[in-house]
Amino acid sequence: MGMAKERKRRQPDDAPPPGDDGERREHRRDKKPDPVLPSQIKNKEKRSEMHAKLKREKKAQKRKLARERDQAAKLSADLGEQPPEKQVPRTIENTREPDETVCRPDDQELFAGNDADEFNAVLKQQIAPKVLITTCRFNSGRGPAFIEELMQVIPNSHYVKRGTYELKKIVEYANNRGFTSLVVVHTNRREPDALLIINLPDGPTAHFKLSKLVLRKDIKNHGNPTSHKPELVLNNFTTRLGHRIGRMIQSIFPQDPNFRGRRVVTFHNQRDYIFFRHHRYIFETKENKIASKDKKAKTSESKSQPEKQVICRLQECGPRFTLKLITLQHGTFDTKSGEYEWVHKPDMDTSRRRFFL
Amino acid sequence: MPRTSVVESPGCPPLRALATDILGLIKVVEAPANPAGVAKVVETWGTPDASRAVVAASLADRVVDPVLAVARNNGVVELLNPLNGDTLAAVKAAGPAPADSAEDPLATLHLFRRHVPDSSVLGTFLTCTEKGKAYVKSVAKENAASDLAVGPSSSWDVCNSGKVELSSVDAGESYAMFGGKGIEVNLWDITSCSKIWSAKSPRGNSLQIFTRPWFTAGTFLCKDDHRKIVACTNNHQVRLYDTASQRRPVISVDFRESPIKAVAKDPNGHTVYIGTGRGDLASFDMRIGKLLGCFVGKCSGSIRSIVRHPELPLIASCGLDSYLRIWDTNTRQPLSAVFLKQHLTAVVIDSHFSTEVLETKSTQADASVEAEAEVRKERKEKKNRSSKADEGTEMVDHDDSAVEMYTPKRKKSGDKSKGTKKKSKKQQVA
Repeated sequence: MGMAKERKRRQPDDAPPPGDDGERREHRRDKKPDPVLPSQIKNKEKRSEMHAKLKREKKAQKRKLARERDQAAKLSADLGEQPPEKQVPRTIENTREPDETVCRPDDQELFAGNDADEFNAVLKQQIAPKVLITTCRFNSGRGPAFIEELMQVIPNSHYVKRGTYELKKIVEYANNRGFTSLVVVHTNRREPDALLIINLPDGPTAHFKLSKLVLRKDIKNHGNPTSHKPELVLNNFTTRLGHRIGRMIQSIFPQDPNFRGRRVVTFHNQRDYIFFRHHRYIFETKENKIASKDKKAKTSESKSQPEKQVICRLQECGPRFTLKLITLQHGTFDTKSGEYEWVHKPDMDTSRRRFFL
Repeated sequence: MPRTSVVESPGCPPLRALATDILGLIKVVEAPANPAGVAKVVETWGTPDASRAVVAASLADRVVDPVLAVARNNGVVELLNPLNGDTLAAVKAAGPAPADSAEDPLATLHLFRRHVPDSSVLGTFLTCTEKGKAYVKSVAKENAASDLAVGPSSSWDVCNSGKVELSSVDAGESYAMFGGKGIEVNLWDITSCSKIWSAKSPRGNSLQIFTRPWFTAGTFLCKDDHRKIVACTNNHQVRLYDTASQRRPVISVDFRESPIKAVAKDPNGHTVYIGTGRGDLASFDMRIGKLLGCFVGKCSGSIRSIVRHPELPLIASCGLDSYLRIWDTNTRQPLSAVFLKQHLTAVVIDSHFSTEVLETKSTQADASVEAEAEVRKERKEKKNRSSKADEGTEMVDHDDSAVEMYTPKRKKSGDKSKGTKKKSKKQQVA
């Protein structure tokens, strides 16, 4: 079996036709034999020894290459030349499968579609956003604390106890009171696990899985947010579906941020996971002496420049969580007769490099 | 394991489909014969305007002057030329009252296929509003600019309450069925505007609970029989009604968990294709109510419309995921998918699609070859053949076979037979 494996492995580099075996054997006699792979050694001790050795060599080689690159960069910097191109690591994201649904900036139909969609009135500031927050029927554990923090994040949000009302009744109620969005936090086993955002009065409804929730008090050096209207950062919502989700999230927040408040709410999409962060930022003019004594490693660059420098500092003020889109439903919440614009189905997961947002 | 290879779709045969969307655009998708299998958007008609969103479309699929009718959100039915997108006429369906369209938009549309050549009538359509007002109107050719309608026009009330969601006209175009939210399926005679038959809701379940009727899609099952009706409910049931025998459904089958939003019949007279609100597409054999199989693809949004190609074994589906997908009905494999950017509302297939100039040439060659073949037969009978002419026919014959090899699916039996008939007539005259 070992032999078979060996042959299989070697076929691509020699690539002899499988028929002429004798010729190949002759050919191999005058060549140096191939290095033995650790997987071919049957003795475990020897095998692990061999493996460690190979690994060491590989590491050394890598270090050597990195050093060479470094030196080349330094040399070109000294000579005042263009530095050599930095190598870009190949990630799943930048090897994403090409997607025809990605929005293009010159697409007139996209803009016409934007003007016609459900969020247009809020985003054009004809209506101020007003958000109703409610929960599932049994809300305990971290749920109430999460809602309290969510209400500080979203301006003009009102909490209404769920009681035993159906969600369709609540949608009706919110429509009558002039709410523009309805957010439902679903809790399972005392842990918030899903978020439902319904745009009012006529949809769509997005159902997100909520995970990795960290509340404010669990974040080290957290700040307490002010009641200013936050700025909004939406990253990487590229496809038509992503664009729609982005606009939906945007319509929850007011469109005229108070820049004095220096509050930022970020929805960062990466590989279809939407990361939520809430920060306060500050631009500071720092004496670099003090900066160098600071614990922060980033400011060490300013050592070389003697003059004052403006730096930006961030302070996180919770909560922190991750969303993943499960469904996007056309119209408001209706599980029985609802039409879906997008449903995640298992047969879509044939590649790790295909993303929908 | 990351996939490194791309799965190739088998590609679809030459095809032309028109899809309408919520911005009121009509997009023409063509799959040319050369290079085969890649469907693309070739034309877009209209300007994006959400108030003119298309709610329904119907195509009178004829060889000579085909007409495409689209019902828009503002209550206007437009008749277009499906070959170049020229607006032939725009008629306010509901009537003179302008406020009608806002509170009572059009729900369904059917353009009659039967065609009287050399008449002043451009087309006759049946449309129904959501509140159940059905109109039959004819549009004249001459005064296309004005809103006047000529010919047989009539209107009637399908129902008093409820919301009409489906209507379908049988192949003979003398019966129409309606149904909707709170409306049982009912059958109407178009010529006399009278109700012939209406369904009865099934008996309550073991708990004596009735479900309110809510029909979302329906069609006549057979071409030559207006008595068999397939109706799909919001309650994810596919039902077969036989109007000749009883008022309750003959067969009722459940399919998954989401409402069925579209249905299309197969010309074989027993198969139907259904599409649901979650993007599941399946085919049923309605003789026994058996699920034949699902069309598995990456269809992720509600299916709004399904059309079966009259000759080729393929269907086109479109819906809220903004893709127009073409499927093979035999293998149930996706053949092609075209991204059309907006939520789509309806799709129609133009079955008399001639790919390009090359194709028309080839058909001409076909016709000439057939003519020559016939001539040759006659000559054989007479047994006086000249060698030169024979060579000539042989040459042409070779060409013909080459063309056939190249595009085996492009030949249309209807066209061909017509061509031969004409030729034979000519022969007789000669």
